[in-house]
Amino acid sequence: MSAKFIFPLLLVCFSFVSTSQNSPCTKEEVINAFVKSDKFKQAYNYLSKNSLDESYKLIKELKQESQKTLDKDLEVFTLFIEGELHRKNKAFRKSIETFQLLLSKEPPRNLTFYTYLAMGNIYMSGLRDFGKVNLNYKNAEELLDGSSCEEKKALLYSALGNSYLLNENYKEAEAYYKKGLKIYVNTSNFNEAATNYSNLGNLYFEKYEDRKAREYFLKALNTFQKKDSTNINARQRVNYNLSAVYEALKDYEKSLKYLNQANVLRDSIWNSDRVWEIAELEKKIEVEKREKRVSILEAENKVKSAQRNGVIISALILLALLGVSVYYYREKVKTNKIISDQNEELDQLNATKDKLFSIVSHDLRSSVNALKTSNKGLINSLKTKNIEELDVQLNSNSAIVNGAYNLLDNLLNWALLQTKQSYFNIEPHRLFHLVEHVAYNYQALIFEKNLDFKNDVSKKEKIQVDQESFKIVLRNLMDNAIKFTKENGKISIYSQSENDEYINLIIEDNGLGMSEQTRLELLKETTLLSKKENEDIIGTGLGMQLCKSMIKKNKGIFNIESELGKGTKIIVSFPKVIADG
Amino acid sequence: MDNVNVLIVEDTPAEAEKLVKTLKDNNYNVLAVVDTFKEAITMYQTARPDLLIIDIFLNGAPEGINIAEAIALSPDGAKPFVFLTSATDRQIFERAKLTNPYSYLLKPFNELELLYAIEMALEKFYKQTDVFQGDEENTIISDDYLFIKKGKSLKKVLVDEIIYIEVEDKYCNIITSKEKFVILISLTKILKLLDDTVFYRTHRNFIVNVKKIEEIVPVDNLIITSGNHKVTLSDNYKDIIKKVITLK
Repeated sequence: MSAKFIFPLLLVCFSFVSTSQNSPCTKEEVINAFVKSDKFKQAYNYLSKNSLDESYKLIKELKQESQKTLDKDLEVFTLFIEGELHRKNKAFRKSIETFQLLLSKEPPRNLTFYTYLAMGNIYMSGLRDFGKVNLNYKNAEELLDGSSCEEKKALLYSALGNSYLLNENYKEAEAYYKKGLKIYVNTSNFNEAATNYSNLGNLYFEKYEDRKAREYFLKALNTFQKKDSTNINARQRVNYNLSAVYEALKDYEKSLKYLNQANVLRDSIWNSDRVWEIAELEKKIEVEKREKRVSILEAENKVKSAQRNGVIISALILLALLGVSVYYYREKVKTNKIISDQNEELDQLNATKDKLFSIVSHDLRSSVNALKTSNKGLINSLKTKNIEELDVQLNSNSAIVNGAYNLLDNLLNWALLQTKQSYFNIEPHRLFHLVEHVAYNYQALIFEKNLDFKNDVSKKEKIQVDQESFKIVLRNLMDNAIKFTKENGKISIYSQSENDEYINLIIEDNGLGMSEQTRLELLKETTLLSKKENEDIIGTGLGMQLCKSMIKKNKGIFNIESELGKGTKIIVSFPKVIADG
Repeated sequence: MDNVNVLIVEDTPAEAEKLVKTLKDNNYNVLAVVDTFKEAITMYQTARPDLLIIDIFLNGAPEGINIAEAIALSPDGAKPFVFLTSATDRQIFERAKLTNPYSYLLKPFNELELLYAIEMALEKFYKQTDVFQGDEENTIISDDYLFIKKGKSLKKVLVDEIIYIEVEDKYCNIITSKEKFVILISLTKILKLLDDTVFYRTHRNFIVNVKKIEEIVPVDNLIITSGNHKVTLSDNYKDIIKKVITLK
């Protein structure tokens, strides 16, 4: 008889659900009749949808509002939905407290009724204090009168029936159930009527009046409109109870039939629940899938943007590398060009040096050879004591040695100039004296060639030069003048004060002169040595080169005027010493 | 007039010989030829040359510069010198330059170059440049001597021996106890260079060595000096009387 214990519980649950779910019509009517503000409506909607937190927030605001405005109706209705809220939240004590507070505020009659009903329900299904259940229901019953609507009455009678059944007051319970049944049948509320039939069946079953119980359960089953899925729970319970009743009546075949029916219904309940759950799950899965896809897309986006950034960065790096390498390449090309230029220059210089070397050695060789030959003649002359011949030979020897010495001197000075080793100090000098000093060394040669030599340089003229390099220049120019002038010729050195800055020193001879081509060749600014044209008298060209370099170093200017066969005028300009004050 | 005394510092005998000959030919008095630092300094201190010719390279080292430096810092007073060298070595000359004043002579040199170098050395040393090469002047005045160019050569006269100087245009007649000669120098320059505590101007054209005054005859506007020379004393310069009296 385990089923016996289950029934009341199931029954109570069912009746509770039915009162709260099927009553809104009237309870809602009460509340909707009151509703004044959107906020209250909102709070009530949240409560109906079980959004308890949102609702509670609004309720608190409403309470404050009502206290401020002293709106008593708002206050009690707010308290009512607050009580409902606590009940839904299973805070039953809190709910009871709220309802009691409500009752103390003298609420409208309708609201009081529903408050007692709600309190009774709480004591019955929430707190399970069955003694208090009846008290509250009775308080509610007292509020009923002739004007009370049938629905309300039926609701209360069903509740009272339940209450008495729990208190095992079967007589009272039977009476209230029948009262309720009558109203439901009259108002054609078949579901509720069936529930009342079922309740009566339960009642008779408890009283061991099995046949009566069977009759009511069958009535209940017949009253249900079968296709209605809203009463599936009730039908399942009725079938189950019928099975228990038949079992008690020992009609096992029928019992099994109803048990099967109950099981089928249970399964379908379960299935429908399942369908819900599955639908929920599917929804969840779908949402998850969506979310996943969204997150995948996001990740893809991230990856793509990362890739794009990577591509951009690497492109930039490559560009920078390219730039740098182009820069270095160009630098390298530049340096290579410089190096090749320098190489060329070096090659030229080297060629010049080689040429110089060969010419110098050739000249020296011929000089020494001439000396050798001359010395043999000297020995012969000595043997034959030919004194006159001896004098001539000695003079020629001295000339040869002089030439060789000059060559070597130039070579040394050239080397010193190239290695920048020579001492160089520009000072004021009297031009005349410097010319005298140099000319002094040529006295013998001039005498020998019977030249008419004159130093007509002004004694007053002072120039800014380095003494030694000036002398080198002058020595070479004198050498050339004497070399290219025939015997009894004329050489004169004189000065011309061209302007305030320069003095021209002119070495003029009436010797061989030179062609225009040679003249230009000599004036050309080149490191190369001029060609050797006149094997006999024209030397290395080193002397002229040295002259030009030295003049340049002394900030002088070099020029030649010449006519072939008539003579040459070498003009060298040097900076003047500006007379003090 | 005396010859100029020269001390030669040269280690190559041939070069030394050539130098001595050239100098003697031009009436220079060669005191000695030495070739070490020690000898050079000793001779410098004892023989008191008017001028030195120093070869930079002595026995392979640039000892000549050391000698020049020692002379420049000598307590007995420096003297002009000529550097003699065969190498146009930049570094050596840079160092030689520090012993200013100097003059240098590059081997091989001829007579003219040697004499020129000597004259340059004197000019630079006594800071009276461009004297001997021009036509306008021929005398350098030091504290002790007048160096006078005679022909190609130089002569010297002891300043203390001068009795008086008579100026005539660009010329100055120098009268000493022994002789009388003409030099080329301007009056302003000679007045500037002579010691003005010893040489006084007595007339537009006369400068007298105070130490040589025997007697002053203001009435006749005359000064009688040693050697019985008579020098004119003009009114403008009669202050000399007081100075001479205080001196005596």
